[in-house]
Amino acid sequence: MAGVKSPASLHDVELAALAAAGDRPAFGELVRRHGSAVRGLLRRMGAEPSTADDIAQDAFLAAFERIAEFRGEGTFSAWVRKIAARLYVRRWRKESRYDLDAETADESHGGEISAAARIDLDEALKTLSPAERMCVSLCYGAGVSHAEAAEALNTPLGTVKSHVKRGLDKLRLRLAPPEGATLESAGREGHG
Amino acid sequence: MAELDFEMKLDRMFNEPPTMPDAEAFARLVEMRLDRGWTLRQVAIGAAGLVAGLAGVSQVLGSRLLFDAGEATQRNASAFTQSVTSVMRTGENLSALPFGGEAMWLAAALGVMALAFAVTRAVEEFQ
Repeated sequence: MAGVKSPASLHDVELAALAAAGDRPAFGELVRRHGSAVRGLLRRMGAEPSTADDIAQDAFLAAFERIAEFRGEGTFSAWVRKIAARLYVRRWRKESRYDLDAETADESHGGEISAAARIDLDEALKTLSPAERMCVSLCYGAGVSHAEAAEALNTPLGTVKSHVKRGLDKLRLRLAPPEGATLESAGREGHG
Repeated sequence: MAELDFEMKLDRMFNEPPTMPDAEAFARLVEMRLDRGWTLRQVAIGAAGLVAGLAGVSQVLGSRLLFDAGEATQRNASAFTQSVTSVMRTGENLSALPFGGEAMWLAAALGVMALAFAVTRAVEEFQ
């Protein structure tokens, strides 16, 4: 059959249009392309791998239901990541883990900053408090604005901004630290 | 400036999808759930159609529609038979008229020709 392209050779927008017409293999190709990005974001937001996978599946199913809303103005990946992030926030709030004032972070990463830690975003995110991690991941990973994050988390805008700022300070020290800095000092500065 | 650079770097890092060895299995799982949802939807639509069909049939039977339709058909058939009989009787009366069958056929042919002429004129007028 000449002229019929395989899903793998199509652009995301074309695949989305086919999916909107009920073409499930086309949507499967979108899942293949962007599944890891969505799962990765959810893990970075603090979800356990199995929870992240469950929510990622739900996000893709929700995306399929609402695929006609995707008009290709942004990337498909960003669109579906936003859906997934919102689903996770909803679950996070439902499971009573909604404590944006919690300052607990994984402190097991003390000592000299290793080369791997400098470049590993996942490791660096573990040093943030759950609230900081949630806010930073929402704003930088899901492309959500501070105001949208505040609305999704049902918290004041100022609180979100302060969590993002503190999270960024900590990440900067982890990912682009000044020479000779240690993680302990990074942690102290981050909390201070 | 350094802050902006760092934020751009962070954006890039977040946008780099991690490599997941089970990406294909994940995609298949989503496709399976999609298919299952689709099948369930089809079954639900089919079941709803069946229920609606059964309800429709029971309503039709309950309202004695078929019985009434049968009666109406019988009435119409007998009326038709009566009409045909009456026309036949008229034909028999025509043969009793004081001119022959040829004159009847000629009159009919003239009538058809007059009708054709009228139609042609009408078409020409309204074109």
